[in-house]
Amino acid sequence: MQVLGRIVPWIPALIPAALVAAVIWELLLSSGLSLRFYPWPPVFHPPQSFGWEFFGSRWNPAQNQWGIMVFIVGSFLTAVPALFLSLFIGLGIAIASTAYLPKVMTQFLDPFVDLLAGIPSVVYGIWAFIVVAPYFGHVVNPWVYDHFSVIPGFGGTPPSELGTGLPIGIFVLTIMALPITTLLIRDALQSLPKDLWESGLALGATRWEVMRRVAIPHSTRGILSAALLGFGRAFSETVALAMVLNIQSGYPVNFYHGTATLATWMFTNLDSAYGNSSWLAALSEMALVLLAISLTVNLLGRRLVSSFIAYEIAGL
Amino acid sequence: MATSTPTGSVLPRDEVLFDRSLRTRWRLGFDRWIGWLLPLLFLVAIVPIVDLVYFVVRAAYPVLSWGNLTNTQPYANQNGNAVGLALIGTFDLMAIATAVAVLLGLFGGIATAEFLSERSAGWVRTSVNMLAGTPSVVVGYFGYFAFVLYFGWGLSLIAGALTLSFFMVPYIFRTVDLAYTSIPRPIREAALGSGARPYQYILKVGTPIAFPQVLTGVFLAMAIGLGETAPIVLTTLPSLLVPSSLNSGVTFLTYLIYDGFNHPSTGPGSNELAKAFEAAFLVMMIVIALNVVVRVFAARYKKRLEGLYQ
Amino acid sequence: MSGAAPEGPVLSVDHLSVVSRDSKKKILNDISLDFPPRSLTAVVGPSGCGKTTFVRTLNRMTELTHSLRVSGAVRYLGQDIYQSNVNPVLVRRRIGMVFQRPTVFPMSVFENAAFGLRILHESDAEIDRAVTEALVRAGLWDEVKTDLNGSALALSGGQQQRLCIARALAVKPRVLLLDEPTSALDPAATQRIEQTMLRLKEDVVLVLVTHNVSQAARVSDRVAFLHSGRLVEVGSTADMLERPKDPLTEQFITGRFG
Ligand SMILES: Nc1ncnc2c1ncn2[C@@H]1O[C@H](COP(=O)(O)OP(=O)(O)OP(=O)(O)O)[C@@H](O)[C@H]1O
Ligand SMILES: [Mg+2]
Repeated sequence: MQVLGRIVPWIPALIPAALVAAVIWELLLSSGLSLRFYPWPPVFHPPQSFGWEFFGSRWNPAQNQWGIMVFIVGSFLTAVPALFLSLFIGLGIAIASTAYLPKVMTQFLDPFVDLLAGIPSVVYGIWAFIVVAPYFGHVVNPWVYDHFSVIPGFGGTPPSELGTGLPIGIFVLTIMALPITTLLIRDALQSLPKDLWESGLALGATRWEVMRRVAIPHSTRGILSAALLGFGRAFSETVALAMVLNIQSGYPVNFYHGTATLATWMFTNLDSAYGNSSWLAALSEMALVLLAISLTVNLLGRRLVSSFIAYEIAGL
Repeated sequence: MATSTPTGSVLPRDEVLFDRSLRTRWRLGFDRWIGWLLPLLFLVAIVPIVDLVYFVVRAAYPVLSWGNLTNTQPYANQNGNAVGLALIGTFDLMAIATAVAVLLGLFGGIATAEFLSERSAGWVRTSVNMLAGTPSVVVGYFGYFAFVLYFGWGLSLIAGALTLSFFMVPYIFRTVDLAYTSIPRPIREAALGSGARPYQYILKVGTPIAFPQVLTGVFLAMAIGLGETAPIVLTTLPSLLVPSSLNSGVTFLTYLIYDGFNHPSTGPGSNELAKAFEAAFLVMMIVIALNVVVRVFAARYKKRLEGLYQ
Repeated sequence: MSGAAPEGPVLSVDHLSVVSRDSKKKILNDISLDFPPRSLTAVVGPSGCGKTTFVRTLNRMTELTHSLRVSGAVRYLGQDIYQSNVNPVLVRRRIGMVFQRPTVFPMSVFENAAFGLRILHESDAEIDRAVTEALVRAGLWDEVKTDLNGSALALSGGQQQRLCIARALAVKPRVLLLDEPTSALDPAATQRIEQTMLRLKEDVVLVLVTHNVSQAARVSDRVAFLHSGRLVEVGSTADMLERPKDPLTEQFITGRFG
């Protein structure tokens, strides 16, 4: 009875772990990896195990080539710039709202950032595709092309009028990661004790100097976790990005070109893979790669932040 | 080195409070300018959100009507903007997914809060964070391989709903866990001390206290579930009929939005696009409403629970 | 710091009142008081009488609390610090402040003491010199000289408080406001700080808030007694403690309330 009482609670408590395990297990089974270490035949009989070629640059189902490097590169190419943009904008907003704006103003302005966190990604997608993309196609991209084409990667093929591609992808990801970075950084900055803030000012420092030399160093962990969790969001974003990225299976020829990320390629490719077990296996293995990167980033980010705020942001 | 003050006396320069040295002017000026410039960054958040809401509302307004919301035959009427089918589909998906997620999350959360040691609970909480951190498309793949192919349910309502519940479990689990953990110790000890068995305590004492917060968690989870698109698109089949069984295809709101992207060539005002914005409007309204409720509730519990889910 | 010692008071408070915008309550009511050079004035009074608010008006820290409105004048060497063309940043460099609890920054001992100089981009040699001097004056040098790069958070409470004093001294203020600097410390640490204060008053004007009459007796040469926002009485420490004029003062120093 005693023993039973101790074991029974573990059954429901292990549900989340079991679900994660189920996801990993199923993807392992359906991927080429299963050939390596399972004695019994895998469910979909992947005809091959991909080996290191899997990290090659050529994805061509017709020729049985399954290299996912293009998509890994695409993921970083969109997520990294978006992360930096939203990290700096978020830092700026957080500093403004912590140190510069009067309370009445922040009470009015802060909810906009919260609201940003609540919009579903597909809504961002359709808005970006219908409303923002033409603007990128007619204004932003041509302007960048005209002025910066000397920079490698910014010249070459002129941007199309459609406006979809890398720049708008980065734009959408920036907006989507912004609430995460802003709220986490703001929370970290506001956790600086009021006494410390005041003694900085009492030494004749300006607000900026106290911010830069005391508050920001004090918030390093919070900022780092904002970076990691913001990156996690940008790296695994699927549907909004799939709508604006102008999905392509090769490396982008220049800044304005389309590309694909791991998540968007997986999302748009599953249809065509039906019935082709190599294809399905390659996609599952891709899913494992995406999962490994996302989980690492997310767990690290969460370890660092000792606050309740992450829990409040929808989607974290 | 000496400067005169308004009162006429002569003071050493560094005693004068109107110091106009370059260094000081730069320091004070920088602080002032930063104070004006940084708040402008709020525009990066405000402009998109206002533009988005404005555009969605403007595009959805002409086609929003009671008839369109309730008509379940999308192509029966002339303008073809009826979203009743998708509303029912979304409702079906959410109902099943919420039921499953509440079932899993509720028991899991209570068990973690009430019966596990601090250490074990820590591990369980990490696993919850892992589930919440799993990318949606990966869960969609799982649903496709497990429910659609392996179990042979095909692209169906049930496959979509179960996949969807994966996203809702962590949020319900967390709030339930937090709700029961945050019940003050004395209350628990008084109840258990007076001879109540743990399950009696949970049912009679804990649940009434935790209930409002648990409800918050369910709302939060529903807001998350409602906005999901990719995993359900991967595991269901759009259909022109109201789902009649668990194996039926299903059309849902976020699918309509995604579909608007697949048929953009007809330009704004086309049926698919108008329908997409109509659906976007509905989804946003429901999600924002749920979020407002959650925020109002959550503000109350925030302080007490700092640091539990790291 | 300037060589020329000014004539007259360093700080002079003239009909100073503070009103809370929210409750319309008068937190400080028409206070006039001078702080001459080489003086240590103890501000005493019962809890909630406005001591903290008073010293915070002396270097414009009150304006960080938007709900407070200050009227009257505070003159530093004849210059009204509340004048519109005076920036509080410059005021606070001349009039430093130490808080009730130690407020060391999460950085090394050296960097803490150097904080006020770093923001002015002083040369490294100058910073080294000033930090050493400040630590010596605060009576902390002997304890930290071997480990200046260790974290300030590793120091004891009393050491942290002396570090805060050193940090304030490093920018060479002419006035130092201390708001119950020893109330969070044990007797031994309190004694060290009192010794430090006695040494400092030779060249810095000290304003010490304390609720502890015997501390005022030990270190101050003047006592100002506040009660519900009013300056009831001010005089030399000996006079105030032995021959108070006001019955309220007498009640307070004999420990009948507070
Ligand atoms: N920002 C404020 N708004 C309104 N009232 C305030 C504010 N700050 C202080 N007060 C009020 O002013 C009075 C004086 O407060 P103050 O902190 O200056 O007292 P004190 O003498 O330092 O007390 P203690 O000995 O407890 O430190 C108190 O009654 C307090 O309630
Ligand atoms: Mg006080």
